[in-house]
Formats: sequence, C-alpha cells, structure tokens
Amino acid sequence: MNFVAPLFLVGGLAIAAPILFHLIRRTTRDVTPFSTLMFLQPTPPRITRRSRLENLWLLLLRCLVLALLAVGFGRPFFQRAATSTPPATGMGGRTVFLIDTSASMRREKLWDDARAKVEERLRTATPADEIAVLTFDQSVRTVVSFEEWKTLDTEQRIASTIQRLADLKPGWSGTRLDAALIKAAELLDRPGEEEPRRKEIVVISDLQEGTRLDGVQGYEWGRGIEVVLEPVTAHQVQNASAAWIPESDDSVGKPDGVAQVRLKVTNAAESKRDQYTIQWAGSADRQDVYVPAGQSRMARAQKQDGAATSLLLSGDDVEFDNTLFALPPQTVTVPILFAGQDAEDDPRGSLYYVRRAFPKSGRQIVEIATQRTPGVDLQKMEMIVLGNDVPDTVLDSVKAFVRNGKTAVIALTAAADAQTIAKLFDLPGFTASEAAPKDYALLAQIDFQHPIFAPFADPRFSDFTKIHFWKHRRMNAGNLAGAKVVAAFDDGDPAIVQAPLGKGNVVIFTSSWRPVDSQLALSTKFVPLMNALLEQSSRMPAQKAQYFVGDEIALPPGTQAVIKPDGKRVEEAAARFTETDEPGIYTVMPGTLRYAVNLPVEESRTVPLSNERFTTLGIPLHKSAVETPKKTVRQVAATQAIELEASQKLWRWLIVAALGVLIFETVFAAKLSGVASSGNVSNL
Amino acid sequence: MTVSSPSSFLDPAALMSIRNLELRARTVVEGFSHGLHRSPYHGFSVEFTEYRAYTPGDDPRHLDWRLVGRTDRYFIKKFEDETNLRCHLLVDQSLSMTFGSRGVTKADYARTLAATLAYFLAQQGDATGLLTFDEQVREYLPAKHRPGHLRHLMLALEKPAAGRSTDLAAPLKRVAELTRKRGLIVLLSDLLAPLESLEGPLALLTAARHEVIVFQILDPAELTFDFETASRFLDMETGRDLFLDPAAARIDYRARIDAHLAGVRALCERLGITHLQLPTSQPLEIALFDFLKARSSRGKLIRRKGAAS
Repeated sequence: MNFVAPLFLVGGLAIAAPILFHLIRRTTRDVTPFSTLMFLQPTPPRITRRSRLENLWLLLLRCLVLALLAVGFGRPFFQRAATSTPPATGMGGRTVFLIDTSASMRREKLWDDARAKVEERLRTATPADEIAVLTFDQSVRTVVSFEEWKTLDTEQRIASTIQRLADLKPGWSGTRLDAALIKAAELLDRPGEEEPRRKEIVVISDLQEGTRLDGVQGYEWGRGIEVVLEPVTAHQVQNASAAWIPESDDSVGKPDGVAQVRLKVTNAAESKRDQYTIQWAGSADRQDVYVPAGQSRMARAQKQDGAATSLLLSGDDVEFDNTLFALPPQTVTVPILFAGQDAEDDPRGSLYYVRRAFPKSGRQIVEIATQRTPGVDLQKMEMIVLGNDVPDTVLDSVKAFVRNGKTAVIALTAAADAQTIAKLFDLPGFTASEAAPKDYALLAQIDFQHPIFAPFADPRFSDFTKIHFWKHRRMNAGNLAGAKVVAAFDDGDPAIVQAPLGKGNVVIFTSSWRPVDSQLALSTKFVPLMNALLEQSSRMPAQKAQYFVGDEIALPPGTQAVIKPDGKRVEEAAARFTETDEPGIYTVMPGTLRYAVNLPVEESRTVPLSNERFTTLGIPLHKSAVETPKKTVRQVAATQAIELEASQKLWRWLIVAALGVLIFETVFAAKLSGVASSGNVSNL
Repeated sequence: MTVSSPSSFLDPAALMSIRNLELRARTVVEGFSHGLHRSPYHGFSVEFTEYRAYTPGDDPRHLDWRLVGRTDRYFIKKFEDETNLRCHLLVDQSLSMTFGSRGVTKADYARTLAATLAYFLAQQGDATGLLTFDEQVREYLPAKHRPGHLRHLMLALEKPAAGRSTDLAAPLKRVAELTRKRGLIVLLSDLLAPLESLEGPLALLTAARHEVIVFQILDPAELTFDFETASRFLDMETGRDLFLDPAAARIDYRARIDAHLAGVRALCERLGITHLQLPTSQPLEIALFDFLKARSSRGKLIRRKGAAS
C-alpha cells in the first residue's frame, strides 16, 4: 500500500494522546502536600486488574479510530502492476494514428520526421494490437482501417502500412484536427465489441497554432480514450505570410490605369526579422514591407503587368506559404430583354425602372435590350421582362425561352394583359379583372422561403407594409397548372405568382411597379427583388474573389471541365467543383472564368500549440503529454499515484470504518460507565 | 475533675477560629486559670517568690509595705526582681510547619502556644523574648517586661512564615550569643530534621546553662499517616514529590517516624532538655499545664540542688 499524502500519517502520532491521557489520569489525579518525605519510601500503587483491562479496550478503540483517520487522510492506494507497462507495447490495445498532411507539414523535414515516428511506434506494436492509420488535413482519409489491419498478414501488416505511408505526401490544405479526432474516437468506440485494454489516438502533427480544434469542445469522449500527442517540430520559426484582401464589388471594376492588390502581411511572434519584400512573379519590381514581429501590416502590391497572377513574399525562412494568387475582378455581362411598348425615358412606364434596377458592379454588368435594339438574339438573354402589347411572334420566342429553363416576368398593367398569359400558357379562356381595393392594397402572406423573397427573410428587411398598391388585377391562379402564389394582397388576391412552364418559370406581378399602379418601384425592395429574379433565371452562382484549398467552387451552368494549376484537366459535370487541392489559378472550360485558390491563412500560423489548449478543450491527453517535459520521474509517479488513489478511493472506506469504530466505542464506553456507576451505587 | 480531660478545654480548631492572636492567648490562659482553682496543683508559679523576714540592716526600700499595712509584719520582697525569669520563645516558621491535616496547621498551633506562653509569663511579670526562624533568623525581640512589649511580640508572631526549610543551627547559635544571662528557652518546632543536625544546636543551648524546653509540635497525620487514597505526596520544603499508596507505605513510615521521635526524646534526655511532644489535636491548656509541670519539677530540682550546695 502506498500513500499520496504520507505526511498525514504523522497524525497517527495522535495515538499517543489517549495513552498520555491515561498516564496523566493515573498520576496527576491527586496531590497531597506533606510536611516531609524524610520517612517515606516510594511505593507505586497497584492498579486493579479489572480497571486496567477496561481502559485497555477503550484505549485500543480510540487508537484505532485515530489510526484509521490518519491512514485515511494519508490517502492510500494499491499500486497496480498494469500501470507500469509502457504505453505502446501493451497487449491488445487499439490505436488510431492520425497523421497530419496539412500544408504546414511541408516545412523542412517535418513529413519525414512524422513518418519516422509512425514507423517507430508501429514497430513496437504487438500482434495483438489493432491499429488504424488515418491522415487528416481539411478532411480525414483512411490509410489503413482496423478491418484491413486485421485481414493483413501478421508479418506483413507493419511493412505494408509503412509502404503505404511512403506513398503519401502532405497536401496544401488547412488543418482540421477536431474533425480527425472525433472520427478517430468514433472508430475506437464501437459498442458491442470487446473492450480493448487501451484505446489510444496518436496524433503525429506539427500542431501549429492554425490547427482547428474548436469542434471538439463539448465532445463526449468515450471511456478510456487517451490522446497521445507526438509533435514534430520545425527548427525555423521565422515565418511571414501574406493574405489577399479582395476589394469589395463596388470599388473594383473602375477602369483606372494601375490595378492594386491589397495584402495583409503577418509576421510570426518568434521572428527576428521585420523587413520583407513582395513582388509579382516574373517581375523585377520589388516592394519592401516592414512588419514588426507578432504583428500584421497592410500593403498594396502595385500591378504593372496584367498577366501576372501570383505574388511572392520573400525574406522569411519558411517557404511553403510564400506564394499568393490574386486575380483581377472578372466582369460578367448579363443580357436582359424588355419586351413592351414603353418609351425609354418615360418615368410612368415599366422599362424606366427596370433599367435602373440593375446597377453596374465589378462582377456583373446587366445589359437591357428592347425589341427595338438591333440584332437581338432572344435565346441568349438571361431574363425577359414582358410589358404590355407584346407581339405574338415575340411571345412564341418567349415561350421557347422559358421552356429552356429561364424566367420571364410579366407585370400586368391592365386586365387586358391577361391575354399575354393566356397565350404563353395556351389557355385561351384565361382572363383577369381589375380589382377595386379601398384606398390601396398591401402585400400580405409573403413566402419568404421562395428564392425571390429570400433576400428579405431577415426580420429587419421583411417589412412590406410601406408599399401601397393602388391598383391590381384579379385573376384565378388556380387555372395555371402548378402555379404558386408567392405573395398575396391583404384582400386575398394573388400579388406575385410563379407558374412553371417547361423547365423555366413565368413570374406574374398582378400589379406593376409603375407609379400609377404601386409604390413598388420607388421602394427599397425593388432592386433586390429584381436581382433575385435575375439570379433565379440565370442560375449564376455567387462568386467569391478568392477561394482556399479545400473549398468548393460553384461552377456556372454549362461548365464542361476545369483546368487545374498543374495543367490537369478535370471533366466536370456537377455544379460544384471540389478538387481544389492545391493553390493556384483554376480555369473553367469553356470560357475564360478563372478562380484564384490560395493556401488557407490559418496554415501560416506555424507557432506550435501548447498542451493547455488541448486540456482546456477537454481532450483526454495521455498523462505524459500533459506534463511538461521537465517533470521528473518522481513527479510523474506522484501524479500517477494521485490518479490511482482517485480511482480507488480507499479513504472513503477508511473514514466509514473510523466512524463505525467511533460509534462502537461510544456504545462501549457508555456501557462501561453504566456498569461503573451501578457498581458505585451498590458500593454505597 | 481532672485537668487532663480534653473535653473541658477548648478544641484547637475552635480556638484557631479566633483571628486575634492576643485574644486567643488570653482565652487559653484565662480558661486555664479558671480551671486552676479546681486544680490540685494550686499555687504553682514560674518562679517561687520568697518573702523574708526583715532584719535590721536590710534596705527598707525592699519592705513590702502593703504587707506591712495589712499584717503589721515586716517582710522583704528581696528576691522578686532577682529571680525574675528571662524567657525566650523560639518559634519555627519553616514551610513544614504549615502542614495541617485537621484544620489546624502546626504553625498556627505553635504561634498560639507561643502567644499563650508570652501572655501567661507577662501576667506574672516575667520578661519574654521572641525569635522566629526558618533556615535563618526572621524576627528577634529581646526579653523584656514592659508595657507594649507583649503587643510587639504578638505582631511579630503574626507575620507569615516565608522560609522554606528548617535549620536549627543558626537560630540557636544566635540565641546563645544574644542571651548572656541564663534563662529559659522554649523551642517550638516539629523537629523534622535529621537527628545529627539537631544535636549540635541543642547542646549549644544547654552548654550555655540555659533551661531548655522543647515543644515538638506534630500533626496527628504525621504520627499515624492515615491517608486513604494513593496520590503524589509533595514535600512542602523541598518540593520533591513521591507517588505512593499510603496503605502500603504506612507501616514503614510509622516505624521510621517512631524511631525518629524516640531518637529526639533520647537526645533531649541526654542533654537535660525537657521534651514535650504536642499533637495539634491536643488542647493548648494541656500544653500550658505540661509546661508548668515541667517547670515546677525543674524548679524543685534546681532549688534542691541549690539547697544542697
């Protein structure tokens, strides 16, 4: 038996106290002064046998209580033999190796070190051990699963695992250790199976500061899982990184002469240097940037040559994050047709407001054509807005246009405009009547789930009560097959109806946005509403200025292939491109659309994480990892002792025993005193 | 009708409840005098006073004129002054004297006895001196017979004992030095000291031809050792303590104390000292009676010797 707090055993000396009391009681009960001791010889008084025996039992009980308390406070525990076995060579343990393949592992020889560590641990594994090897960066990939490990030949499994590792290389992604840890914990915790002797997750990583760990906060770790950190450390810590801060859509696209790229240059806290240079690839112009250690500064890279897409940062020790890709904003032209009789500059008409609903931005220029525009190819349009008195020939083309998957918008300016709908949907009997609201109508029952109204879903923007509709037309939406009322007036009449036609849709406004009909065009809701309609029609995904490795890119419709930075052509039919596995410029085929994909910014934070970060997140670190390396063997033994003691909790039983003895002692003493007093009475 | 019956005298414990020492002494002496009328030893005195028939040539100053007036006979009170007794009371005030098991400490008893003797002697016109001592001399009053002297003596007696141990040598030597004239020396002590330390000083007194009376005052418990319970016994003088069971120690103790007392008695006998053992339970009147009895036999002895020579 060992003790966590052996000093408390000194309290056991209190056992001497009852003995002392007994002694004192015997000697100092009475003092008789006497004139002289000249004639006296010392004759110690005899103690009767009966009283001595009684006292002895009480004494023993009291001593026992004290001894139990002292031993209990000393917090005893039994040393278990199992704890002394080295962690990696236990019998029948289950281990998941998590090997970091993020971009920061490209530094120096980190990858080689990591592989060496895995090999070293694998070689100490016993045949009874079950091992799975996973790599992680942005995502988790399995190299060897438990099942595979079991099927492999006992002799060969280690060699083949090492062989598979040799084929791997770190990629360019960010580090998501949290996801990897959870996946590994799920692998280890398989209910229904025999509980292994040891459940271990070995993380072999550079554990840089940019590692994402937030996901494990609050995660319920399975019983007995221990995380062993095997950090690989880089020697060069002076790192600077650059991140591209793209301009906002409003400020770009101004046809100024010199393009500028805004950069945020960050210097690591450990750096001793503070002077760095940036330059465009292939250009001789260098630009100095001064960044103090541990801080970041904004810099503007002057772009002389329009063709260059990569920026180089130099002056630090760590190479992998020194190239940055930046593209000038690419403008997309979106053609729209307005079919109707409105004059160009008539503020009472619909066209006047449609023209002003699509402001020019750096990413998108909306060109609005009318029937009068020469050489209009209706099928190349992204959206058609139908006014009044549309010729039948045009309507046929519109019908074909909508059936191809686009959207046509009809704003009814009069009850007679229902003819346009009737022709589009081939419903000759479809009519509309002029509604006569009292004063005005308001929009009620808006379907904010619908893509058109999605921008207004936030309660801050969902107030449509300021828009008064003076006039509207009443029609029976039920006559249109599959029609959906997106918004309705407060008198129950439909206000905006979306009716499918072929692959596309026809959106019907029963009241137009002309000032004579309503206040819609003059309200703040009009521009977002029209843009939402255009987006629905063109199906152009929202584009970001830059992407990071591992991001998905939403491809425009009609994409056939994507050319990766290394020239590899990826045939792509899906709407989303996921193979952004290296930084660089990705080109969409056919067309000229390009995407800049950069290294995740977090990956440049290469300072190693402290163990406290893991412990604060509740990750069950293996004990040797929690301690600082300076801890002596004795301290480690002490913490192990505390753990063992905490798990055994022998002190509780000792306290309970002490209480039991105390109660017995009380009863015994009471009984004794009762006997004594009754004896006295009889003597009297 | 006998004096020795203790019931007719005051119990020492009751006597000690009188705070004033002089009053205590007077109570004893007057009670004694009352009893004296019925006593067969009527007419005894400290010193025999003699009347001698006047013969021509005697100094007429010494004539007892009151007698002449009463009886018309001429007698001379010649010896009254010459035979006046000079008595020294030596009171032991060591710590062992403060022991008392029956409510009366030996010191109180000794003090009261000393006061009683002084009062009695003063009434007879004898000069009384006082010397209190423990290991050294504390108070000394020379033997005088003057008004107020008795009061001084009482005050000196009432001073509390401060000393620790008993040492007879120094005080007795001092008395021997101070009293040139032959006289009576009364020693009040428990004499609980080794015999060899007592012999020298007492011999010194008798060598100076003093008449010595020793009152050995002892507590009854010291004689019987009748303690019941086992306890630590604390030596009042040395502070030494001993844990013992009285029942077991009693026999041995009694043998030893008896041997000591016998030794003291034998020593006194050898030196011609009157030795009177006084347990504190004994009434003081008896002590006074014993004193007078000792004196009378002594006086007869001396006178007889003087007559013979």
